[in-house]
Amino acid sequence: MIRSKRPSASRWAAKIAVAAIATTAFFSLPAETQAQQPTLTFSAIPNQDETHLLDRFNKIAAYLSKELGVQVKYVPMKSYAAAVTSFRNNHVQLAWFGGMTGVQARIVVPGSVAIVQGEEDPKFVSYMIANSATRLKEMKTLDNSIRGKTFTFGSKASTSGRLMPEYFLRQHYKEYPEKVFSRVGFSGDHTKTIELVESGAYDIGVVDYTVYNAAVKNGKVDTKKVSIIWTSPPYPDYNWSIRGDVEKTFGPGFIKKVQDAFLKMKDPELLSAFPRKSFIAASNKDFQIVEDNARKLKLLD
Amino acid sequence: MSLISLTRETIGWKARDVLVDIDLHVEPGERIAFLGRSGSGKSTLITHLYRRLTAAGKAVSLIPQDHALVPPLSVFHNVYMGQLDRRSTFYSIANLIKPLKKEVGDIRPILSEISLEPEIFQSVEKLSGGQKQRTAIARAFFRGGEIILGDEPVSAIDEKQSARVLEAIRSRFQTALLALHNVDLARTYCDRIIGLKGNKIVIDAPAKSIERADIDSLYAA
Amino acid sequence: MLGLILAPIHHLRPVRALAATLRAIHELFWALLFLQVFGPSALTGIVAIALPYTGVFAKVYSEMLEEADRRPDELLPPNTGAVVRFIYARVPMALAPFRIYTMYRVECGLRSSAVLGFIGLPTLGFELDTFFKVAKFENVAAVLIIYYVLIGTIRWWLRPVLLPFYLIGSAVLLFSLGGPPFELSNLLRFLTSDIVPQPLRNADLSLASTWSAFWTWLSMLLSNQAWPGLINTFLVTQMALAVTMIVAFLGFPLIVPRLTGKLGGIGGNVLLVVGRSTPEYMLVYIFLQMLGPSMLPAIVALGLHNGAIIAHLLGRQAEAITPNLRPDAPKGFNLYLYEYVPRLYGNFLAYSFYRWEIILRESAIVGILGVKTLGFFVDGVITEIRLDRAIILIGITVLATFVVDWIARAIRRRFKLSMNDRNSKERALVEP
Repeated sequence: MIRSKRPSASRWAAKIAVAAIATTAFFSLPAETQAQQPTLTFSAIPNQDETHLLDRFNKIAAYLSKELGVQVKYVPMKSYAAAVTSFRNNHVQLAWFGGMTGVQARIVVPGSVAIVQGEEDPKFVSYMIANSATRLKEMKTLDNSIRGKTFTFGSKASTSGRLMPEYFLRQHYKEYPEKVFSRVGFSGDHTKTIELVESGAYDIGVVDYTVYNAAVKNGKVDTKKVSIIWTSPPYPDYNWSIRGDVEKTFGPGFIKKVQDAFLKMKDPELLSAFPRKSFIAASNKDFQIVEDNARKLKLLD
Repeated sequence: MSLISLTRETIGWKARDVLVDIDLHVEPGERIAFLGRSGSGKSTLITHLYRRLTAAGKAVSLIPQDHALVPPLSVFHNVYMGQLDRRSTFYSIANLIKPLKKEVGDIRPILSEISLEPEIFQSVEKLSGGQKQRTAIARAFFRGGEIILGDEPVSAIDEKQSARVLEAIRSRFQTALLALHNVDLARTYCDRIIGLKGNKIVIDAPAKSIERADIDSLYAA
Repeated sequence: MLGLILAPIHHLRPVRALAATLRAIHELFWALLFLQVFGPSALTGIVAIALPYTGVFAKVYSEMLEEADRRPDELLPPNTGAVVRFIYARVPMALAPFRIYTMYRVECGLRSSAVLGFIGLPTLGFELDTFFKVAKFENVAAVLIIYYVLIGTIRWWLRPVLLPFYLIGSAVLLFSLGGPPFELSNLLRFLTSDIVPQPLRNADLSLASTWSAFWTWLSMLLSNQAWPGLINTFLVTQMALAVTMIVAFLGFPLIVPRLTGKLGGIGGNVLLVVGRSTPEYMLVYIFLQMLGPSMLPAIVALGLHNGAIIAHLLGRQAEAITPNLRPDAPKGFNLYLYEYVPRLYGNFLAYSFYRWEIILRESAIVGILGVKTLGFFVDGVITEIRLDRAIILIGITVLATFVVDWIARAIRRRFKLSMNDRNSKERALVEP
């Protein structure tokens, strides 16, 4: 039985709506074929606040466009998951991922490859930072002084803000972080983690060391209130990954061209935005350890 | 063959009998007026007869006392609903979106007959009480059939108009069963008068032979 | 953005059996799922809002039809077809409540679409989230003011006559926005692979080992995520309900001038309007920023929002009974305690039970913000790109909603609680 029907007064509105939807559908379907000049769309995991990222990646878009001779567009993402999903759905073809999201993305998009990483990325570390009110001292290795405190990770899918620190914590304490700390949260991104620890909302947090160092350098964090109490062992992290099927659209050898464009990026202004000293070549197997750890933590099936 | 044949029948709503042990026989071609005080059972009887005749498969039109119109729709559409069973679904939907020429052509003359033609595309909720009543009448006319049942069909219309409506009813329908409150109209336009009082039929006589005093007794306490 | 709001109200294809389920899943959960298929596009927003609203409309419209005058329908010629009967004699009779309710829903749509911004769709919530993250509080205030103005002036700009223009406008706008292209393969993958439980995916379903693996998978999911999520969700729900009741009870006198004076009445009105027209998700978000991450902000925010809604309804009823008070009625606090409270108590309980189910749905979704209710775990598994788990967790939310609804209904029946004056606007506010 029909249960609802539009009021007759808006019957015309209804017809127009149908027409509008049909029109939209009509126009959006051939959008792919419409674009005679294919655009390379790229994105990045939102590991820091957004205005910062927008500024950074629009410059990169201009640079890549010049180097590659194709249109390049940056689209911002609201979450780590959205970045991976967009890559998977071919809404973006190239992305600046963390170690973990890169692994996720390359698993769900067969044929995709990690092409470049920062010079710092093969030996990346996380900082554990603490609010000064906790009076925690810097420790060489993890110890029991941090037990019972409140603790925040960054994003749930962050390598430096979750996966690797959780791995090291579990390895050391042999129990879940929820048992070690009195409360465990996820701030969402590194900037937010720093803020929350600085404000005292959480006693301790773990962050990407490049983001933290940059925040200190730019005076964005009050070092009287926050200090580093632990530095994690090194692990591989960020990377640029690209879909394998881009060569169908942009021609054979395109992946190599993109890789080269990054490798010869020397402009300190562009590089400092990441911040990285330079980019070096990378391959999927460089991130095997991240993948293995993710499986151990059951973050991957 | 009688159209209606009730013998010692009791009619009423769930818990309350309105008319008890009544006898009523109606032949085709009769024009009958039901008279009585309000609450005497006229409406109940009309509704009962409508159900009975419809169930028997007769082509019946009804002008209910409450009009049962659809206020947001136009006079045209309300009248059109009289023949909704004789059109295809698709056709009716099209006609709802845009009134079709053929239907407008059929309905317009009916409306002019009862002076409602200028209001044809007015929505019913904007009409006066009398106009609403005439819309209900027009719907019954458009529906057509052998028999018309009317529950106070001219209660909201002035005397001159009422006369024209009742005249039209006479010419359009073979048989008419009308609950009326205006005694003079009943005597002029009907052949037989039935008076209801105290759960019973107390008068049943040809209009010509009936005395004014008999009728007045219906309304006495 | 207009498209996000307006499109949903105009393509309703109600399926009665589905309606309850559609309704039980909050638009934010729908959006999280469809983000996986359509990306952060307007289409995601439209579908995410349209689905639950379809469920709501189906229910409410059908109730309105049941209450509408049936006489014209009964008078139609006996052999009239069902469809024609329906559109000629049934729908027009319920047109007025339809219109009021639809307008109200547009307001809700506005709220919902703003909230969807928090998870990445380009609406007001997106801006709000961004400004909060970079601590530009003056911009936060500006966005909030724009939002209140939009809601506050709704009766002037939202007219049935203008709808076609809005629709065309929003269609054009949508088209010009572009967004990621729609690809059928993504939808197919989502339906045939992503949401199939991982142990069953590409597995031999005739093998016992497949099913034992599935069972291990399911029990892990249930004990590690669903169960703690469920407990926290109920915790937040019950506490928020308690706060709701307190706020409602103390709040309704605010808009009764007899109790608080003329000036107090105006002030109270503003307070309650802000409380009830700010989306609950936005309130929780703001409270989380202010109070830090814990269950407390969620409880307070949900309590304030729902309390304001009930207080508003009670206040209006209190207004209605004011003229009937005896001339020598007491004043001030005694008036409140002896005259108003006893009269409104039944309604107050009825309203609270109606909101119970809604509070549950809201408690579940605010988990996305970090409070460890079901939404937290849904967001978590989506981050892990495990949509099969997401579907199961959302399914559990739906079941929880049904259970609470069922209990609330039983209680209402048992104590014969019902709302006295259920007009369509009122119903809209208390029911989902």
